[in-house]
Amino acid sequence: MAAAEQRIPGARWTPFFFLLPFLFFLLLFWVIPLVGGVKMSLQANGLGQEEYVGLTHYKALANDERYFTALRNSLVYTLASVVVIVPLALWLAYLLRATFRRLRPVLTFALLLPALTPPSVLALLFLMLFHGKNGLLNQLFVMPLGIEPVNWLKDPDFILTGLVLQTVWRWTGFMTFFILAGMEGIPRVYYEAARLATGSRWQHFWHVTLPQLRPVLLFVAVYLVVDGFSLFSGAFVLLGGSGGTANAGLLTVTYVFQKTRFFEYGSASAISISLLPLMVLALWGSLFLRRRTA
Amino acid sequence: MSDCVKNRHAVLSLLLLGPFLLAVLVPFLWMALGMFKTNAEFFQPMAKAFFPANYDWQNVAELLEGRSVPFWAVFGNSLIVSLGQALGAVALSAAAGYAFARFSFSGKRVLFVLAVALILVPRQLFAVPLFSWVNALGLSDSLLGVMLPGVVSGLGVIYFTQVFRQIPGEYYQAARICGATELCVFWAVLPLAWPALLSYGMIHFILAWHEHLIPMLVLTSEAKQTLPLALAKLYDVSQRTPQGVQMAASTFAVIPTAVLFALCHRKFKSSLSEMLVH
Repeated sequence: MAAAEQRIPGARWTPFFFLLPFLFFLLLFWVIPLVGGVKMSLQANGLGQEEYVGLTHYKALANDERYFTALRNSLVYTLASVVVIVPLALWLAYLLRATFRRLRPVLTFALLLPALTPPSVLALLFLMLFHGKNGLLNQLFVMPLGIEPVNWLKDPDFILTGLVLQTVWRWTGFMTFFILAGMEGIPRVYYEAARLATGSRWQHFWHVTLPQLRPVLLFVAVYLVVDGFSLFSGAFVLLGGSGGTANAGLLTVTYVFQKTRFFEYGSASAISISLLPLMVLALWGSLFLRRRTA
Repeated sequence: MSDCVKNRHAVLSLLLLGPFLLAVLVPFLWMALGMFKTNAEFFQPMAKAFFPANYDWQNVAELLEGRSVPFWAVFGNSLIVSLGQALGAVALSAAAGYAFARFSFSGKRVLFVLAVALILVPRQLFAVPLFSWVNALGLSDSLLGVMLPGVVSGLGVIYFTQVFRQIPGEYYQAARICGATELCVFWAVLPLAWPALLSYGMIHFILAWHEHLIPMLVLTSEAKQTLPLALAKLYDVSQRTPQGVQMAASTFAVIPTAVLFALCHRKFKSSLSEMLVH
């Protein structure tokens, strides 16, 4: 609706009047810390250190095995959560739409309860569910299948799976809610047209619903990627700020936090800054997809 | 489609949803029931002792009396920080979104991309320089130091840009014909966007309520802590807090956001439906 967008003569500064508060806080709490981070990454480790050390920290990262472990874990964790959550949420939204209309709000609310819960509480619940042999997960799903109970939080093969399960449990309902809202916004006309052209339920879904949902799905995916890279609380409570056995659950934010514990602020900032190109790539990718869908 | 087929489909869908509902609700139920349990009961295999032997409010009393953490103070701090952040973010984002939606000006594109970039750079990664900057501003160990950095929201700006784009141009013209200044036009169209204002405020409140890392760095004294910090302390094994108390605190931590969402649920969904597809 371009009608709202217009140039008003003689009022060049007006948009900036509205933008000013936002820009002020943007400068104060984003740009300055960001620049501070770059500066810090070029300085020696330690509290209040200002000695310039150039690219030392970055060079150290290139040989830091833990750094690459953290990076790899974060990538796997993030991708896995998107790949699992998006299709699952689509399916759940489809089911919610197919079920009784009256029940829909209650069911949606129940499903997204985990998203309303502080991550540390979720992690605690998960700690209990994963807890050794007696945890619900082992008792309900693993042991009945005749498999040895999994030591979810100690076995390096399963720590990352555990973290992914936690994020799936946390976000699926919330994303279902967004997709459901998107589905309800699709004009009925489309479906009526599709019905005239016949075709199965599946074809309707594939050719009508899915293309219309593209902006929603893009939003959901971007949200999950960003959240994946900023996960802290969940892993912090589950693994106590460590990376777990053999660092199998070490994520980038956890690693940054570990560095700050020992006042290695230079190294910590270098890790953060080194992730920026990745974020720029994600930004470019999402803008590109947006343009293609538009 | 006949009604019979439709009903059958609805029942089938409900059955398929069943396992997912259980997977979500059982842990929450177990958490809420946990606040009545003694430690011995709590550590029994879940299937055997899901319900407590008797409903004893002692754990709740212990929590509210503040024997482990100053619970009321912590709860209040969390409310103040989250409310302040939500109000601030709504005000800043709505004004910025209005500017992006309504005016064309030089530098608009660059600023908008910057706002998108904001979403993509997790604040947690820059926690350390942010923390030292907050210190330099003299805001260390104060609630303001947690609140203010959280009012900048890229998501909010994009959301409100979209919202104000959808308000038909006639509204703006009508307001202008009446000779209103730009600020008055903004005030005049604001009520049209109130479901969006409410929805975004709610989302931001929830995000602020969950924030852990920044408060952990900024807030040092016990009286200033927010809920996630207090919870982490309660969960800490070395504190030997009774499990029931931990469960009571966890349950109380969920209630505000759950109630808020339940209240705003409908408005939020319809405002999203209108926007997401177009």
